[in-house]
Amino acid sequence: MSEKEKLALLEDMFELEEGDLSADTVLDDLEEWDSMSKLSLIVLMNDEFGKKLSGDEIKKFNTVGDILAYMG
Amino acid sequence: MIKSTFNDIKIEAIATAVSTKWTPVEEFISEADEKNVAKFKKNTGVEGRYDAGYKQTTSDFCYAAAKKAMEHKGVKPEEIGLLVFVSQTPDYKIPATACVLHNRLGLSDDCMAFDANQGCSGFVYGLNIACGIMESSNIKTALMLCGDVSGKGHRRSIGEGRTDPDDNEAKLFGDAGVAVLLRKTESAPQLDMAMRTDGKGFKAIINPYGHSRHIHGMAASHMDGVEVFNFAIEKPPILIKELMADIGTEATDYDCLILHQANKFIMKQVARRSGFTSKQNLVSIDKFGNTSSASIATALTKYYGDENEGTIKAMMCGFGIGLSWGAVSAEIEKKDVLPLIQTDEYYDDGYEDIEPEILA
Repeated sequence: MSEKEKLALLEDMFELEEGDLSADTVLDDLEEWDSMSKLSLIVLMNDEFGKKLSGDEIKKFNTVGDILAYMG
Repeated sequence: MIKSTFNDIKIEAIATAVSTKWTPVEEFISEADEKNVAKFKKNTGVEGRYDAGYKQTTSDFCYAAAKKAMEHKGVKPEEIGLLVFVSQTPDYKIPATACVLHNRLGLSDDCMAFDANQGCSGFVYGLNIACGIMESSNIKTALMLCGDVSGKGHRRSIGEGRTDPDDNEAKLFGDAGVAVLLRKTESAPQLDMAMRTDGKGFKAIINPYGHSRHIHGMAASHMDGVEVFNFAIEKPPILIKELMADIGTEATDYDCLILHQANKFIMKQVARRSGFTSKQNLVSIDKFGNTSSASIATALTKYYGDENEGTIKAMMCGFGIGLSWGAVSAEIEKKDVLPLIQTDEYYDDGYEDIEPEILA
């Protein structure tokens, strides 16, 4: 999956417009980065990438780029 | 999985009781938090919940539900050979609340009565415990009573019915009690059950205080949201699918999937991963909140409490604290799902409340 496709998945998950996110976006600056979106990310990571995301791993995410890297 | 099948035990009545006080989510949040309220409602699906009165306990709701369930089938107190009370909010530290209910319901000495400590899986665990004991004994009629006043535990003591606006769990949890009347009969539709436990997750939802290991108390429990979520979307769907494979059914064979009403987002994921449609997935968390072991019955009551014709084929699944989870495949007659009971009555046991400062 290309970086653009991965970003599109995240934008869709956050209910944002195309182009709203980049790898440099700091998660804590996003109003949408709340407890619910973290659960949505768990589902997305599991459905799309077959990965089980733990609470500790989520805490390590600083930027959107960190999530993209985790997607592999 | 632990699998049980019962061919001669019938669910004869299911009744749910709540208080008369329904509190909308908006009521305890200031207008400045309007956006948060909208977000909370969207994410959890909770619009409001029934709050137990200051003196009301789970057993008060179960008592009212049990009375109605017995009346429905004309069952006399002396016919009840087993009373199981499944709850995490018993009346007392000791004795078992089941004994209090045994007394209030006027049951005879020829009866087993005891408590089981289970939360969100309590409804299905309770059914399995009750049916298992009935199967191996001469007991013909049993009451499985379950529920919690978890909401009450979260409402701080600012005054009756008041809530800390920052406490999301206080908004999520409602109070309810349930009675299921079970009877041995030759014409019973098959009941299939599957149970599991993972004690490695015992800290995922816990209140470690106020008992033997940490004597001094704290009011509310702690929940590791991410761990519980990961568990909830993974393990219950596996169990539901394994049970269906074992008994040769498919999701399309069921009228409905009745999940523990944890929150709407979790339920949606569990239903999807179990192969059920969103239409099959019954939702009562909107009106009742998360009522712990009572939640599956609140959904049955909401959808079928006022219907009298026909039968429901239901897959029911409870999951949560323990961690523990279980699924039950059952057929229930709609006329045996009773209309919602509302009561503000509570049992006066004759004891006076002790002020907290005296306890300290």
